[in-house]
Amino acid sequence: MQGLGELETAVMEVLWRDPGPQRVRDVLDALNTERDLAYTTVMTVLDNLHRKGWVSRERDGRAYRYVATRNREDAVANALRALLDSAKDPESVLLRFARSVSPRESEVLRRALDDTAADQ
Amino acid sequence: MIVALALLLGSALVGWLAPRQLVRLADPVVALVAWLVSVVAVIATVAGAMFLLFLPDHGLGALTVFHHCWDSLQHGSGPTVEAVSGLTGAALLTALLARVAVVGRRTARRRAHEGRQHLDVLRIAARRDPGPHPTLWLEHDRPLAFSLAGKPGVVVATDGLHRHLTPAQVQAVLTHERAHLEGRHHLLVTIGDVVAATLPFLPLFKRAAIAVREFVEMAADTAAVRAHGAENVRVALLRVAGHGAPGAALAMSRDAVETRLARLQQRRHAPSAVRRLLSCGLAGAAAMALPAIAAVGALTALMLLVCPYG
Repeated sequence: MQGLGELETAVMEVLWRDPGPQRVRDVLDALNTERDLAYTTVMTVLDNLHRKGWVSRERDGRAYRYVATRNREDAVANALRALLDSAKDPESVLLRFARSVSPRESEVLRRALDDTAADQ
Repeated sequence: MIVALALLLGSALVGWLAPRQLVRLADPVVALVAWLVSVVAVIATVAGAMFLLFLPDHGLGALTVFHHCWDSLQHGSGPTVEAVSGLTGAALLTALLARVAVVGRRTARRRAHEGRQHLDVLRIAARRDPGPHPTLWLEHDRPLAFSLAGKPGVVVATDGLHRHLTPAQVQAVLTHERAHLEGRHHLLVTIGDVVAATLPFLPLFKRAAIAVREFVEMAADTAAVRAHGAENVRVALLRVAGHGAPGAALAMSRDAVETRLARLQQRRHAPSAVRRLLSCGLAGAAAMALPAIAAVGALTALMLLVCPYG
């Protein structure tokens, strides 16, 4: 569902912007500066993110406090590595602009690039 | 019987020889159309040959065949060679096509599922540029760009592109990826893979997977060249491809980087839409008729050989 997906992104933005543990209420307040979300919606989204391993939580009284499990750069790097190194042929699912090349091929390409630069 | 054999021979000839000609076609889109239509044409011609074997008297109806069969069984002699080979061939062909359908459906579903999973992870951490094909930007230093099919298909790109390429080169990369989505290239690649996996007989089938991959890359390059010039695409290709591999499994294997570079170097200007449509239509029609034409050729040659005074 597109709407929920965008909310997950928005919630992670909030947690990444302020790395301290946050309650559902805090996240809701941060999000509701520009939109009008229900408390339960944000709670569901945080619950999903917890299930997917994006956030960890600890109990604080009757509520949970949520923290992002890793910062954005690490999350991106992890996701990309998992995607590109996945044992199942990733090339079958995604069409990449250019695949990475071996060091030797890279050397050949680099020289070709230098030639191009020299031509200009 | 002779006509059916000639059709089979024509199909085999096309399946064997066509790939050599197809890879020489200048326009990758025309080559894609011609290759995939040739696959259909060869299968259809083989099916036609089976039909002719099955109905040697050309359309007297299946009932007659069964009647003949029943007759000959009653009189103690086996049914004719034609009917038997026709039936066997038709059964084989049906089984093969059923396998293509089953594997095709399974592969398409699995890939759609994997694509959704990948997207689910990337989407959360990405900044989204809206559009008919949204672009997901990831904070990552390696220059990377790829497209994922779906509804809608998305382009995923890293900020590393901006650090390693000029703005025009970044746009060229994005145009390339969008061309994949607009041309439904993921679907074509899946079709090529399924054909190669399920019909490993003739070069036309066996090499379909690799050929389709190369052609779609070249087709996307053409779109990028039309919008941003060959030099931008060429340099972007070199810089992105040359940027260290994350895992050994991804070393350039069947990639067409070299072929693509060679094509970009000798690029004439891209054909207009009308001209391309016309060429695709012509190539498709020619590819569809080619096995039958080859069959006529083979039959004529045979008649000239066997009955020189006829």
